[in-house]
Amino acid sequence: MSGGVYGGDEVGAIVLDIGNTTVRAGFAGEDTPKADFPSYVGCTTDGNFEDDNAMDTADGPTSVASKRKYYIGYNFLSSPKERMEMISPLKDGMIDDWDLFKELFDHTFANHIRSDPSVHPILMTEPAWNERGKREKLCELMFETYNVPAFYLCKSPVLAGFANGRYTGIILDSGAHHTSAIPIYDGYVLQQGIVKSPLGGDFVTAQCRSYLADKNVEIVPTYLVGSKTPVGKGEPSIYTKRANLPAKITQSYHNYMVKNTLHDFKASVLEVLDSNFHEINAGSIPSMHYEFPDGYNNSYGVDRFKLAEGLFDPSTVKGMDCTNLLGISQLILTSVGICDIDIRPNLYSSVVVTGGNSLLRGFCDRLSRELQNKVPPGLRTKVVSANGSLERRCGAWIGGSILASLGSFQQMWISKQEYDDGGKNCVERKCP
Amino acid sequence: MHQLKFALASAAKILIRNPEDVASATHQLSDTRQLTRTIALFEWLLADSQHSTCSAKINTVMADVREILEINDPTSNESPTVTKEAIIGSNKTKKTSKPQAIAKRPEGMNREVFALLNFEKGQQNVEDMSTTSGGYKQVKAKLGRSRARRWCWAPFSNPARTDGASLHHWRRAADVAKPYAFSKFNIQPKVFTYTPEEYEQYLHDDTGSNWTREETDHLFSLCRTFHLQFVVIYDRFDSARFPNRTMEDLIERYYDIRNRLIKARGLDEKIFIFDAAHEASRKSQLEKLYNRTSEEVKEEEMLMVELKAIEAQRKERVKGQEGLVRLMTANEKKEAKHPPSGRKSAKKKSLKKKGDHNQSSTDTAIIKFPEKSSGVWLRSSRMKLPLSIGQKKTKAVEQFLSEYDLPPAPMPTEEICQAFNDLREKILLLLNLRQLADNCEYEAQTLKHKLEAINRSREVLQLKSDFCHIYVHIRRCRISILKFSIKTL
Repeated sequence: MSGGVYGGDEVGAIVLDIGNTTVRAGFAGEDTPKADFPSYVGCTTDGNFEDDNAMDTADGPTSVASKRKYYIGYNFLSSPKERMEMISPLKDGMIDDWDLFKELFDHTFANHIRSDPSVHPILMTEPAWNERGKREKLCELMFETYNVPAFYLCKSPVLAGFANGRYTGIILDSGAHHTSAIPIYDGYVLQQGIVKSPLGGDFVTAQCRSYLADKNVEIVPTYLVGSKTPVGKGEPSIYTKRANLPAKITQSYHNYMVKNTLHDFKASVLEVLDSNFHEINAGSIPSMHYEFPDGYNNSYGVDRFKLAEGLFDPSTVKGMDCTNLLGISQLILTSVGICDIDIRPNLYSSVVVTGGNSLLRGFCDRLSRELQNKVPPGLRTKVVSANGSLERRCGAWIGGSILASLGSFQQMWISKQEYDDGGKNCVERKCP
Repeated sequence: MHQLKFALASAAKILIRNPEDVASATHQLSDTRQLTRTIALFEWLLADSQHSTCSAKINTVMADVREILEINDPTSNESPTVTKEAIIGSNKTKKTSKPQAIAKRPEGMNREVFALLNFEKGQQNVEDMSTTSGGYKQVKAKLGRSRARRWCWAPFSNPARTDGASLHHWRRAADVAKPYAFSKFNIQPKVFTYTPEEYEQYLHDDTGSNWTREETDHLFSLCRTFHLQFVVIYDRFDSARFPNRTMEDLIERYYDIRNRLIKARGLDEKIFIFDAAHEASRKSQLEKLYNRTSEEVKEEEMLMVELKAIEAQRKERVKGQEGLVRLMTANEKKEAKHPPSGRKSAKKKSLKKKGDHNQSSTDTAIIKFPEKSSGVWLRSSRMKLPLSIGQKKTKAVEQFLSEYDLPPAPMPTEEICQAFNDLREKILLLLNLRQLADNCEYEAQTLKHKLEAINRSREVLQLKSDFCHIYVHIRRCRISILKFSIKTL
C-alpha cells in the first residue's frame, strides 16, 4: 500500500490477541482477525493413547509434545476424546502456561497465518496489569524461539480505545473472566486508575447455572445428545444419549461444554433492564422462549432480567457476599475518581465499551443511563461502543490492526537488533 | 447536433414515405441503398459546410441515423472498433465478413433491445457471446493509458529509528530508494538534559522538598518516555522507591530545573513559572465543584434565579431614578433657559447655545410644539398641544388649567402664545414629577412593608440602603415640587 492518504504502511505485521475465551490473530491492516478460535485447549497426557481421528484431519491442530497431545480449534473440541482435559494458558488474563501458549502460537501460524513467524513483525496484546517478568519472558520467547524481526507489546485497553477512535477515555472491558475499567490518556494506560471486578461473563454464566439448577433443569450439552423428541413447554426432556461416546470423558471437558451451552442460553435469553430491576418493569416486557440441546424448552420472563442484574447491582445477587463488589457503573466512577481532576471530563466524555460480555442486550443503554445519573453534575458522559458483535468482541485486535498498519508506528517496534543490544529489558523501555 | 440529427432522420423518413422513391412499405429494405446514398450526400454536405472538428460528432450522428433507419453501417466491417473477436481472436471472424441478411426488427420490440441482438453486425446474440472459446491467454488486454509500474517487496530502514533495523514493505520500484515517508512524523518534544556537573552546580534542590539526584533522574527519564505528559508521568512515577509526590510537585520540579538550566546556559528561551500552590488550590476548588450533590446544585440554581430577579429589580429601580433625575434637571435647565428677561434676548441665547447644546435642549423639551415655517398659518395653531403627549395627559393639563380658572384657549397674541405654551409645559412637568413622587412613595411603602416582614439581615441591609436612596429622592422631589409651585403660581 502506498498509504500516502491513509497514513498506512503495510509491513506484513501479525496481530495476536489472546483473550480468555478466544485467540484472535490476523494480519495488521485487515478489519477482522483471520483466526478466532477458543483459547481453551484440549489436552491428553497419555502417550499410549492413540487417536486416529486427530491425525487424519488435514487442518488437524494436533501436536505431540512429550506425550502430551493438544487439541486446538472448534472442530476438535466439539467431540469428546478420552481423558481430554480442557486447559487454558491464561491466568487472570496473563499468560501462565508457556508451553500451552507456544502450542497456540504454533497452531496460529501453521493453520491460520500459514507462514513463518520469522518474517513477520508481531504485535501482541497484554492486559493492563501484566507483570514485568511475564512481559520480558514473552519478549525473550519471541526473539529467541521464534526469531521474529520485530515485536511490540501493547495494552489491550489502549488498543480497544484506538479501535473506537479514542486515545483518551475510560475503557470498560467486560470480558469472560472479569470486568475492568481502565483509564487511558494519550494512548497510555493510567495504571493507578485500573479497577477490576470479577463480575464478567463467567459470573453471569454461573448465575444462569445456579438458576437452572434451582429449577431442576439438567443442562445436557450438545455432545451428549444423540436424538431428541419434541416435548411441550416446561416438560422434562426426552432424548437418547449419543451411542459412540468415549469411555472416560473428563469433568473439565463436560464443564466446558456445559459452559458453552449456558453461554448460548445467556446470549439468546438474557437482557439488562434500562433502569434498576423492578418486578413490575420487567414483567411488562415479553418473555423469551429457549430450547436446550436436549429438547427441554421453556419461556423466561422476569428471571431473564434478574440474572443479568447482578452486573450492575451486585447487592441483588443471591447466595453470594457481594457487599464489597462494585457494579459496572460504579467501576467507572471509582476509576475516574482516582484520576487527576483535570482529565475527568475527558474520561467521562468517552466511555468505550468493549468485550464479549457487553453484548448482553441493553448493556450499553443501562450503562449510559446510570452514568448520567451518577456522574458529578455538569459533566457530559458519552458511551462509545462498536455496533457489531465481532467488533465488540475483538476490539483490542482491531485496534492492534490499526496501530500496526500505521506508517508512523513502524519506528516503535522493538527490533531484533535492539533486543540483541539491550536484552529483554528493552520491552519496559519501548512498550511503556 | 440533435436538431440536425432529427431533421436528417425526418428527411429520410419522408423519402421513405414518398411513393416516387419507394414503391411500397415492403420494399423498404431493398431501397436502403438509395437511402444510404442520400445520407452520404448529407454527410458530404455537412462535411463541406462544417469544419473537420465537427466531423467526429457528425459521424456519431450519422451512426445514430443509420441505426434509427436500420441501415447497415458501411464502415463497420473495416472499422477498428474493439469487438469481442478482436480481443479473443476467435476463428469465427470469417463469418462476419460474409454479407448476412439483415434481420427485421419484430413488431413491438424496442429498438434498443433489438440493437443488443447485434444482427446487423453479423454477430451472435447475447447468449452466444458469453461463451469463450479461445480463453484469455492469447491476447494481452491493454488497460489504462500508461504501462503498469512495478511494485516490489522492498526492505526499508526508518530514519526515525536509532537502531537501523529494516522491515519490508510494498513500494513502487521507482520509489524504493526514497527515504521513508513517515519518518517526518517523528516529532519529539524538547526535554532538557543535564550533565552531572550541571546538577552539582545549579540543580540541587533548595526549596525544601528533598529532591535527590536519583529522583530527579527518574523524573526526567519519565519525561522523555512520555513526552512531558504529566498525567502519565505522575501515574508511572515510582512511589515505592521515592517519597510520594503530587503531580504539582513533579511539574514544579521539572520547570524549576528547566528554568535554572536556561539561566545557567544563557539560552534564549521563554521561562515558564509554574505556581504549584495555585494549581493545587485550583484543583481542590474543582474537586469541591464536582463533589456537590444534586440537591446542592439545585439549590444553587434556585439562588441564581433569585439573584437574577433581584438584579433585574435593581436595574429597573436605577432606571426609574435616572428618569427622575432627568426630569428634575429638565426643570432646572428650563429655568436657566428662560430667565425672566426679554423674549428676544432669550431667543438669541438659545440660538447661540443651539450649536453645543442641541442634544440636551431636545432632551429637556417636554412638549414639542409644532414649528411653523412656511405657508399661511393661524397663530392659534401654535398653541395646539401635539398628539404625541397622549389624551390622558392633555386632559390632565386642561383640568389643571380649569382648576386655576385659566381659559383653555386664550387670545393668541405673540406673548400670550409663548407664555401659555411655557406654562403648559411646566404644568406637564409638574404632573410628571407628581406622578413619579407618588410612585416612589408607593415603592417606599411596599419596601417598608417588606422590611417589616423579612428579618434576614442581608436583605435588611439591602432594603435599608434601597429605602434610603428612595427616601432621599422623594425628599428631593418634594423640594423641587415645592420650589416649582412657588415659582409658577
